[in-house]
Amino acid sequence: MGGYERSGNNRWITTSWNPYLAGLALGCATPSEPMASPKSLALQSRADEQMLWQKAEEEQRAFESNGLIYPDQALEDYLNQIAVKLQPQPADLKIRVKVIKNTRLNAFAYPNGMIYIHSGLLARMDNEAQLAAVLGHEITHCTHRHALRAFRKFKDQPALLRAVEHTLSKNRSLQDMARFMGISGAITAVTGHIRELETEADRVGIELMFRAGYDPREALFIFDQMVGEIEQEELEEPLFGNHPTVRQRVVHLKKLIDAQYPQKGSETLNREIFLAKLARLFLDNVELDIRQGKFQTARSGVEKHLRIKPDDSRAYFLLGEIYRQRLQEGDMLKALTYYDRAVSLDPNFAAPHKAIGLIHYKEGRRALARKFFESCIQLAPDSPDKAYIQGYLKQCTLSEEG
Amino acid sequence: MKKVFWLIFLLGAAGFMACAHTGGVPQPVSYDFTIDIPEGWRKIDNNRYLFLTKESPFLQYVMVQNRPIGMMFRHTKKKIQKEMMPEEAAQIIIDEIASDENILNFSVLVNGPAEIQGYDGFRILFTYNDKEGSRFKTLYYGFIKEDTFFNLRYTAAEQNYFQQDIGTFHRMLNSFQVVSAEKT
Repeated sequence: MGGYERSGNNRWITTSWNPYLAGLALGCATPSEPMASPKSLALQSRADEQMLWQKAEEEQRAFESNGLIYPDQALEDYLNQIAVKLQPQPADLKIRVKVIKNTRLNAFAYPNGMIYIHSGLLARMDNEAQLAAVLGHEITHCTHRHALRAFRKFKDQPALLRAVEHTLSKNRSLQDMARFMGISGAITAVTGHIRELETEADRVGIELMFRAGYDPREALFIFDQMVGEIEQEELEEPLFGNHPTVRQRVVHLKKLIDAQYPQKGSETLNREIFLAKLARLFLDNVELDIRQGKFQTARSGVEKHLRIKPDDSRAYFLLGEIYRQRLQEGDMLKALTYYDRAVSLDPNFAAPHKAIGLIHYKEGRRALARKFFESCIQLAPDSPDKAYIQGYLKQCTLSEEG
Repeated sequence: MKKVFWLIFLLGAAGFMACAHTGGVPQPVSYDFTIDIPEGWRKIDNNRYLFLTKESPFLQYVMVQNRPIGMMFRHTKKKIQKEMMPEEAAQIIIDEIASDENILNFSVLVNGPAEIQGYDGFRILFTYNDKEGSRFKTLYYGFIKEDTFFNLRYTAAEQNYFQQDIGTFHRMLNSFQVVSAEKT
């Protein structure tokens, strides 16, 4: 840290703060080789790095033009403030952080200092220290030029490329990741070389968060939470789950923290500030989780939001949606309770009116259904689902006449 | 037009079964379909669904499928169920597509009820970009008949191709018939 030389305008997509990709890397044969120092890299030709930067910039432009970025300037500003706080000084690389609307538990960085963090990962965090753990790790990938180091290692070892191709061809989630992050990001992630980089990013990231006044133990907390959630939801996250080497990584980190960072009790968590800044994201991410049918995760997200904003009608509506769509025994009754609460908090909120109407309609209570469909149409006359509602109303009339 | 009798024997489609990961073994469906394939369109071999294109799948294609209800989707864990109303089934289709990381700038233009050859179903019109930046438009019809979810979709490059064959797709839609799988 600190003493490394940087090489001006050089960039490349780097690895991710992503236990499952790291897990995958750990699964590959890792040739033993001393880690190249950034200083030695700076002496080599920079043409490859510039080429990589160019490719990375293309990928960034694609991200940003495809509706993937979560639009919340205030949140972005907050994340960038934390990044600045973490970055070693003097800083010769401008770190920028943006949020991607995506439920994956992931973050990744480009070597030009551009860090993307998925809403799914942010939504699992409880405080600013956990955010600092992720950002510290990603910042290290940038400042220590991990992408270039990985690329040069990779380039010189065609066997690694074949291993990557083989792994990608066998793993559907990795194929998805490759398409999402750009093939370069995924390839980088599945090289055995990454293990060294991830270890360095873990170690330096912890140091950065400690220097900024955060409790390094929070890094372990979020790691454990993610492992637990992946197991609980049976998420298909490539080679993560119970992968023993990933567990080893956590054990290694814990040893490091216990040995070098004794708890003082005065560390910064900034829980309240963090939760307030992310309140809207929590619910937006819940909508994505509901789309994907990850109902338990969605419920946790709503509950977290309700601890910050206990009278939020949208949160209660989403709780209702979780139960209405989950379709387990007793769920409709629970859904009705939450929809009722949403309506009582905001009588002008049309969505729960329709949802209540749907439940009554399906259960044959057509008169009640009619009442709620009518109130929905009245509140939102231009609703995009108006044609469906009109159809239900027609059926309600026919039932009443019949 | 030549009348083509298209059927999918799910029981015999071993590959199909293998793809339906988790959630148990999918049940065979009770219903198949027949549909007219227009002149000039070619079938791309596939034992999971009927897939047709005139020039190239990147320019336009029609896909028709009879899918066991309860069968897992790839991007959402939600499943279509027998007792679902068309709107609920439509929402799952939208959720499945919206959750696909390869579908970018996804936008639903129309989502409403539709009658497909006498069956109550839904109709969704949506646009999206692929990873290469090409913009596509899809018209998607779906309905549930007992244990079978039928869906018919027409996708084409939005700018120059979608309008060209939308009429052909509607003619195909009008020729669509559900038949008992036992009869096939």
